[in-house]
Amino acid sequence: MIRAALIALLCAAPLPALAHKVLASVFPSGSAIEGEIGLSNGDMAQGLEITVTGPDGGLLGRTVTDQDGFFLFTPTQAVSHTFYGNMGSGHVAKITMPEAEVAAIMGQTVPAPAPETPDAPTARVTVRADTREAIAQIVRDEIRPLRREIVLSREEQDFQSILGGIGYIVGLFGLGFYIAARRKLADAG
Amino acid sequence: MHIVDGALSNPVVIAGAVAAAGGIAMGLRHLTLERIPAAGMLSASFFVASLIHVPIGPSSVHLIMNGLAGLVLGWAAFPALFVGLLLQAVFFGFGGLTVLGINAVNIAFPAVLAGLIFGRLASRGTPLAGAIWGGIGGGFAIALTTAMVAASLALSGDEFLPAAQLVFVAHIPIMVIEGVLSGFAILLVRKVKPDLFYAANGATA
Repeated sequence: MIRAALIALLCAAPLPALAHKVLASVFPSGSAIEGEIGLSNGDMAQGLEITVTGPDGGLLGRTVTDQDGFFLFTPTQAVSHTFYGNMGSGHVAKITMPEAEVAAIMGQTVPAPAPETPDAPTARVTVRADTREAIAQIVRDEIRPLRREIVLSREEQDFQSILGGIGYIVGLFGLGFYIAARRKLADAG
Repeated sequence: MHIVDGALSNPVVIAGAVAAAGGIAMGLRHLTLERIPAAGMLSASFFVASLIHVPIGPSSVHLIMNGLAGLVLGWAAFPALFVGLLLQAVFFGFGGLTVLGINAVNIAFPAVLAGLIFGRLASRGTPLAGAIWGGIGGGFAIALTTAMVAASLALSGDEFLPAAQLVFVAHIPIMVIEGVLSGFAILLVRKVKPDLFYAANGATA
């Protein structure tokens, strides 16, 4: 049948297996909450205003995404934070960071500078607080693309789920066929 | 095109679910034994079509292919497209389960309307004329879908005109592409298997 051929053709086409689905994630970043909002086709939300609300719906603050769809928010209260951004056309991102995680971020105090011991010849490498902060920053920057890769690859539709969906359709309409045929036979009988 | 969970206000979501239930009931009454295979095929092609992305500038839009289902099936397109949407929501996370009703109405109703207006024209006359009407019907279904998506967003608080313009303009290429695809599909069906239409229209006429 023509349509079967059409579908086979569609299936065979090299699919950029991405859809317009909203992706949003938040994660701790030092003493702030960092988040990322975008569409699964790789369009990140640029300059999008994010409103931050508490568990009671009260406004905790606002932030704006940068050109890569990232935003930063420094929590001042240890309550769950809900981030909401509207990209238009029905694309809405809403993601919540639970209270425990926010508290963990806020509990993180900057470690006091290690006492300088220039004379003591020691094998231990002491890392100063600002250096540690810089390293943490570098590591975060380094794993950011990886994190995005993971999110995107999780969103990829593999061939199995496409075939599975078509299988469901065949099954459902087969069931419909069965019911309709029974009804027809009952009418005839 | 698929509105996601949480983008719409509750009254809009509930009204959409009720309207979708009515549309499915209406569609099932029109889904005769002879049309079930065609409905299944069109449901499957709709299900797969949204995975095909058309790059436009830095962004991309995906095919919808609701018009073709409406042209061939008429009212029976409603349950066919609903099944496709349900599976898209479950398998791919397009849209969502709570907004399934309103999404079904936004996508299936324009398809049904395109079928009622252009279906007869696409199945009569020369195959070429039928194909042209079919193409217009395919484009029309997308245009109406964008208007309905914008209207759903407007009822939930967005400004109607900017939202409508945004959705409409983003989908102009899709209208053209789907118009052409629907036209060719109709041409092929008219030449190879014209009884697909006649059986369909014989039941509604």
